Amino acid sequence: MSKNNDSFMVTIKDHKTVEHSAPRTLLETIELHQIEIQYHCREGFCGACRSKLIKGDVEYTTDPLAYIDDEEILPCCCIPTTNIEIELAK
Amino acid sequence: MKYTTFNQVNNNPLTEPMFFGNPVNVARYDQQKHQIFEKLIEKQISFFWRPEEVDVSKDRVDFQKLSDSEKHIFISNLKYQTLLDSIQGRSPNIAFLPIISIPELETWVETWSFFETIHSRSYTHILRNLFGDPSSIFNDIVENAEIKKRAADISQYYDDLIFATQLWQTLGEGTHLVNGVNHTISMRELKKKLYLCMNSVNALEAIRFYVSFACTFAFAERELMEGNSKIIRLIARDENLHLTSTQHILNLWAKGKDDPEMAEIAEECKEQATQIFLNAVEQEKQWAEFLFQHGSMIGLNKEILCQYVEFIANHRMSAIGLGQPFDVKSNPLPWMNNYLSSDNVQVAPQESEISSYLVGQIDSEVNADDFGDFDL
Repeated sequence: MSKNNDSFMVTIKDHKTVEHSAPRTLLETIELHQIEIQYHCREGFCGACRSKLIKGDVEYTTDPLAYIDDEEILPCCCIPTTNIEIELAK
Repeated sequence: MKYTTFNQVNNNPLTEPMFFGNPVNVARYDQQKHQIFEKLIEKQISFFWRPEEVDVSKDRVDFQKLSDSEKHIFISNLKYQTLLDSIQGRSPNIAFLPIISIPELETWVETWSFFETIHSRSYTHILRNLFGDPSSIFNDIVENAEIKKRAADISQYYDDLIFATQLWQTLGEGTHLVNGVNHTISMRELKKKLYLCMNSVNALEAIRFYVSFACTFAFAERELMEGNSKIIRLIARDENLHLTSTQHILNLWAKGKDDPEMAEIAEECKEQATQIFLNAVEQEKQWAEFLFQHGSMIGLNKEILCQYVEFIANHRMSAIGLGQPFDVKSNPLPWMNNYLSSDNVQVAPQESEISSYLVGQIDSEVNADDFGDFDL
């Protein structure tokens, strides 16, 4: 488990690099910086926020139920555990 | 293969495909071939709700204040939703259960269908509140040409699969003459019908529901028909879960993680699957036109609604590898997300008008007599 005071850099392709700090989810960090991202359930079961993880690692805070491909993540229920680079769905 | 309600072959369910293997025998969930269905069952059960928990009485007053064109939008959508859930309350059971081969998927389909019946009961709850006698509304569902057109398109894939399965289970593979018509039944054709049917179900829960959801939430944005909106939010949350399950089935097939023949079929029928989605989008746009034929409502018109259908279709289609055929970059109805978020669904009983919830299920009354035969 990551420590609570961990903060990592999140590079969002075609947008900017933002800082993520616990206990926010990755989705909340992205929203905090006014970057448009699609979401519905915010609990990992609908898949609306599905994004591509280009570099780095994340950890799930809730077991994701929505279908995600090998290189995809659900920002609504995960937190970075390293600096990461992601691409949001168009 | 003849269907049996308890297959006596001592098979290993962990090596069965999702469909068209041995019929399921023991309903066991300690081990799963595809764990996801067990997780979906648990999530769905945790969502359990009853329409009577939501007080819709204020909607009756609101409804009287709506303009005629708004009443047309509201009632037409309810009719359409009633149709969709009438189909979904029975069809996955009838079409899929006879051909499912793993227990966790069998139970998922039963759980899924059961929740669709709760949705159907909700529409009665809503309509009974608005009209003393809702019969004319229900009767119109089987008479209204706009609704019938959609019903035919949705039920066609189910009916096709059900009929072919019945022939296969009674007569086996081969060419069968039934009532003067020849039907050729092969496993490959059955699997194709299943694949197309699953795509049609996915499109139904991914796209078809959303035009009506948008209208419901547009009323709620104006603080109108809020009881109805609360119910539709609960329905939308369930539908999102159902959608996830068919996305999983389609992707398990396409990625070759289940029946290898289904991976071939997914490739072969990609064009047809795409067409199912494009047809659903087209029909929903026509539905938007029908809804707004007597005039728009505040906050929503035909154009925005059609853009939203394209936006949602892009998302849903890319989730199952069908690409993004429409050119819509951002969400034309951003407020929709607030209503589709499950954070906003669960409410404390004291905060909303929940008229009945279960208390005192256990008899907690204790009298002195109860200690009569008690010795220290």
